Amino acid sequence: MVFVAALCGCGGSQVTVQNPSIPKPLIDQLQLSVAARFPTAFDNFVHEEQVIGKEKWIIDLGASNRLLFTQLFGSMFTEFMVVEESSDASDLPIDALIEPSIDAFEFSVPNQSQTDEFAVWIRYRIKIFDGEGVQIANWPIAAYGKSQTSTFGGDEALRRAAVLAMRDAAALIILQMDKSTGISKLRDASARSNSAPPPVIPTEENMQTTAAEDIPDDSGL
Amino acid sequence: MIPVYKPKQPRKLLLRAVVVVLTATTLGACVTSRVEHIKEGTTGIAEGEAIVIMAKSYHLGNETEAKFIRCVGDSIGRGRDGLRVIPNQEFVDALFPWFEPRTAPAETKGLPTLLSRPGVAETIKEKGVRYVVWLDGDTDKTAGGGSMSCAVGPGGGGCFGFAWWQNESEYEATVWDLDGLEDAGTVSADVSGTSFLPAIVVPVPLIARTQNKACKGLADQLKLFIVADEEV
Repeated sequence: MVFVAALCGCGGSQVTVQNPSIPKPLIDQLQLSVAARFPTAFDNFVHEEQVIGKEKWIIDLGASNRLLFTQLFGSMFTEFMVVEESSDASDLPIDALIEPSIDAFEFSVPNQSQTDEFAVWIRYRIKIFDGEGVQIANWPIAAYGKSQTSTFGGDEALRRAAVLAMRDAAALIILQMDKSTGISKLRDASARSNSAPPPVIPTEENMQTTAAEDIPDDSGL
Repeated sequence: MIPVYKPKQPRKLLLRAVVVVLTATTLGACVTSRVEHIKEGTTGIAEGEAIVIMAKSYHLGNETEAKFIRCVGDSIGRGRDGLRVIPNQEFVDALFPWFEPRTAPAETKGLPTLLSRPGVAETIKEKGVRYVVWLDGDTDKTAGGGSMSCAVGPGGGGCFGFAWWQNESEYEATVWDLDGLEDAGTVSADVSGTSFLPAIVVPVPLIARTQNKACKGLADQLKLFIVADEEV
């Protein structure tokens, strides 16, 4: 049966990404109290695709996104917690609530690219809400990772490409999040609303951003 | 008289295998190589100082093979005159997120800004990294031809025919001096070779190992480039 499957090219591969940990970043933390809310679909993301005329691939990101973003935001902000999916920002003593999601997942295998490389693209979306629950940013980011077959073998190469794409997203978020979403301004807004009446609450009109992912690098490099 | 079937002696088979292996390894395929360097300033490395071998970002279209990077790192670190080489993943992790494919500096003019970031200069100093070597390039099959057919039957098998292919390995190493925050120069290796696979029953591969040759040539030249204190 295996022989027949191999002959007709209709086999399948399942790749599970388990713990894509990132190193502790060399950055100054933002002085903010932040919570993250992970939607169920984000927590258990599975991508299935039948490569035309070839085998079927199932890529299970499982809880890896939750682990990655928990570690990432925990190192970016001075105070960070994870809240239930049903939680509302206005009920929490926080400056900002972040809700990441996945818009799209794509990959290519060596047969498609005519190279010996697996490549993965993940398009994340980061929504940010202020302490009153008003959405102030809706930021799409595109991450990319690739890995060579000869080094790691088929399944392992695709897994590694997915982990590299997630790590790429983490690097982009560290570098661009404040510039693209203005999240650090929420601390000032919170301070003003706590100290002086009338409260200055950022409105959706003056703070909403839908910054594209193609934002110039501010690293100065 | 009835002829008696005599099975082939194992010793004869072993001898044949040894002859095939010796022929394959003794007859080298044709390889031509050119290794050269351009030095922008003085170099030199003190005891305790180290280098890191990195691949230029794949975000910029670079396709340098991971095994080539390992090969150059291993070759530079090997021998009595070997230099201290920090594994690149260790270096990239220690400086996360500043040497990721997306964020790594593309030019030396970005180094002052990079080193002013919190913890970056301290981490580089702690690891003793003096030079960062950026590798660019890859190995491609540029031509090929011939044909070969193999068959297996109850009495044995064999191949007949002739195949050939040409590989070209082109790599360039750009050396950054983190002490002077400047481009120290480049070392390049250009190796091409044609491999042959003639087969009369047993295929005898004559492989042109262009990537290995480029690795060795580049590593040896990089050692000289970094250690020798000369200005061109």
